[in-house]
Amino acid sequence: MEHIVQEPDRRMIQKRSGTLVPFDPMKILNAIHQASTAVGDDMTPEDYTYLTQKVCAAIAGTEVPTVEQIQDKVEEMLIRYGFATTAKAYILYRAEHTKMRESESYLMDVYHRLTYSDSESENIKRENANIDGDTAMGTMLKYGSEGSKFFIVNHVLPKEIAAAHANGDIHIHDMDFYMLTETCCQIDLIKLFKDGFSTGHGYVREPQSIQTYAALACIAIQANQNEMHGGQSLPNFDYAMAGGVIKTYNKEYFRALKAYAQAALGYEWEQAEALEKVIRAGIADPLRLEREEDFYKKLSGLNLPGIEPGQIRRMHDFSVKQARRYTKKQTRQAMQALIHNLNTMHSRAGAQVPFSSINYGTDTSPEGRLVTSMLLASTMDGLGGGETPIFPVQIFKVKEGINYDPGDPNYDLFSQAISTSAKRLFPNFSFIDAPFNLQYYKEGDPNTEVAYMGCRTRVLGNRYDPSRECTFGRGNLSFTSINLPRLGIEAHQDLEAFYRSLDDTMDLVIRQLLHRFKIQSAKKVRNYPFLMAQGIWIDSEKLDMEDTIGEVLKHGTLSVGFIGLAETLKALTGYHHGESEEAQALGLEIISHMRKKLDAESEKTGLNFTLLATPAEGLSGRFVRLDKARYGEIEGITDREYYTNSFHIPVYYPIRSFRKIQLEAPYHALTNAGHISYVELDGDTCQNLPAFEKIIRYMKEQGIGYGSINHPVDRDPVCGYTGIIGDVCPRCGRREGESVPIEKLNELRKKFPDVPRYDCTR
Amino acid sequence: MTIKNTKTRQNAGEGVGFDRIRRITGYLVGTVDRFNNAKRAEEKDRVKHEV
Repeated sequence: MEHIVQEPDRRMIQKRSGTLVPFDPMKILNAIHQASTAVGDDMTPEDYTYLTQKVCAAIAGTEVPTVEQIQDKVEEMLIRYGFATTAKAYILYRAEHTKMRESESYLMDVYHRLTYSDSESENIKRENANIDGDTAMGTMLKYGSEGSKFFIVNHVLPKEIAAAHANGDIHIHDMDFYMLTETCCQIDLIKLFKDGFSTGHGYVREPQSIQTYAALACIAIQANQNEMHGGQSLPNFDYAMAGGVIKTYNKEYFRALKAYAQAALGYEWEQAEALEKVIRAGIADPLRLEREEDFYKKLSGLNLPGIEPGQIRRMHDFSVKQARRYTKKQTRQAMQALIHNLNTMHSRAGAQVPFSSINYGTDTSPEGRLVTSMLLASTMDGLGGGETPIFPVQIFKVKEGINYDPGDPNYDLFSQAISTSAKRLFPNFSFIDAPFNLQYYKEGDPNTEVAYMGCRTRVLGNRYDPSRECTFGRGNLSFTSINLPRLGIEAHQDLEAFYRSLDDTMDLVIRQLLHRFKIQSAKKVRNYPFLMAQGIWIDSEKLDMEDTIGEVLKHGTLSVGFIGLAETLKALTGYHHGESEEAQALGLEIISHMRKKLDAESEKTGLNFTLLATPAEGLSGRFVRLDKARYGEIEGITDREYYTNSFHIPVYYPIRSFRKIQLEAPYHALTNAGHISYVELDGDTCQNLPAFEKIIRYMKEQGIGYGSINHPVDRDPVCGYTGIIGDVCPRCGRREGESVPIEKLNELRKKFPDVPRYDCTR
Repeated sequence: MTIKNTKTRQNAGEGVGFDRIRRITGYLVGTVDRFNNAKRAEEKDRVKHEV
């Protein structure tokens, strides 16, 4: 085909970037050839040559033609000479490339903003409030995340799904991790610690003290966090840590016993060591808190040469007393360290502390109770400067007969949880007695107690394997949310139309979740050296390193979420569910409809499709922004900067706390992937603990699954005051930004020991 | 009276704000500064619920 241009054309053409390159007619010929082949058009080589010559002739008079001009001519000639199908393919090809070029410049624009703006001016750097977007690693994380999202949208997602995400019909959460991993997992530390474990970067022996238990709890959370994109949770924190308390108690007991033997019985160190060995060999069961007499009975039955019975009694009592004191102290320190670690180790991609949650409150053993009590006490104390700990998310599991009523063995811990939450916002409260949680509960089996993680996720039911309806080792695989208010607006008050489009959108999301699940399923155990290779995820211990994980992942959940039920109801009926009974009835009908559809999908596929009351942090603004651009400002629907969270009554709507709980509770029963309800209280809740408890109890009585009370927790870092601060700090009297004389702070410290110290000479 | 002489460190706190800890989507955030625009607006709109 060299003959197409006899006279070499020495002209230059201008590329889009502005640079000049030599004109090459072969490129025109190839483009026509490709377009025609792509659609199977009936073009001959002669046709290609002929059309190329026509294009060359058409631009002959132009000094320096641009790429766009040449492409226009190609289109024109294809149409003029009757190659309509190829013309269409060529036009599409051009459009596609334009889109790609534009989106590439879009990505570069994002990178520019990440690089040259600070987070105060760039919302994109504040999408997730616990990442500091101004730090090096925070920015690096965003580069990776934005680049990945771009890749997923343009090269991985099926077109209709990419379009639905881009235009805001749906939102695929954590899309940057689409090709990589799953959301979250409930980690059973008892199973992990047994015989030790490897983090993938080093082997750790089975821990032998409460401090090591607590330290390794953090390590486990951290290791798993770096293999998953969502939160990490310990579902049985008190039960798991109790083992560490027992070990510490026994260590301390024998430490005291050896000291006693040396001081009171005149033993040499070696003899004392030998005595410990004899006792340990003779008594199989460890010494337990509050059951010391059981141990004593066995001890006095041992043949301990040279010690009289009276001495054994005194030795035992002394050792118990000492050991109790030190065990309590060490447990306290261990819990303090745990909270500090989880608030300070920025080990998630170097920019974030792990997203940790711990569930506790139901272990009635003295050791488990000590753990819970010390954890709450450490939370109450706050961090080093008295700050309120942000992590871990703490969840107190409320259960009738265990901690709910006065007289229940852990009622004192429930009370302690309430006073702690009234000061520090944590713990939140989960309710095992809510019917949808209680149906799985088996007394004495913590694995059947509901545990929540991160923002609100839960697992319990298991359609894939009904014999494994449990919490440990399971979690969410991925979730995608539906823009419910848009469906409401588009329906123009026609309910049938609304349900039709809701079903269509749900079908689309289900297809998308399955698309993602297929990618996840193809991963191998070796892609998750901790989560899968250490047997954290349920049944993964049965797999080899090269096995794919698809089958065990089926224990996880695929969740469809939603946002803005309030705005949806407003669009459909003119009222939200706080304002009208009819709206509430419709709200429940809509959410029930969604749940039924997902239950049916679970039946059909044998997978766990569940319904999520989406947490929606970054999403809260995204949908409404898009809808405002599309439909304008509609009162009560698009006139704010956010859509209301999941099924919540709008935050701006004045309503009594009990009423809010009543209205939101039935949605908890429907959203089996997770949910949370809040009540906002004013003033210092520490001053009114009975009211606080009344609300928590009401949540339980109404069938709420997971709830908490919000109240203002302000802190002045200068004088260390924690409480409510208006414009002026009630302790040191300064306004924001003002300074205080150090002398005054020194004076205040005499009254309030938590006032930070300042070095005057520096 | 405030002695404005920060060089000799007779004062502390110049330019330091208050921390305002709020629950965002189930978890806590140490300062509203890190909230995205939508969540800032939502936080501002929140009304208290009477018991």
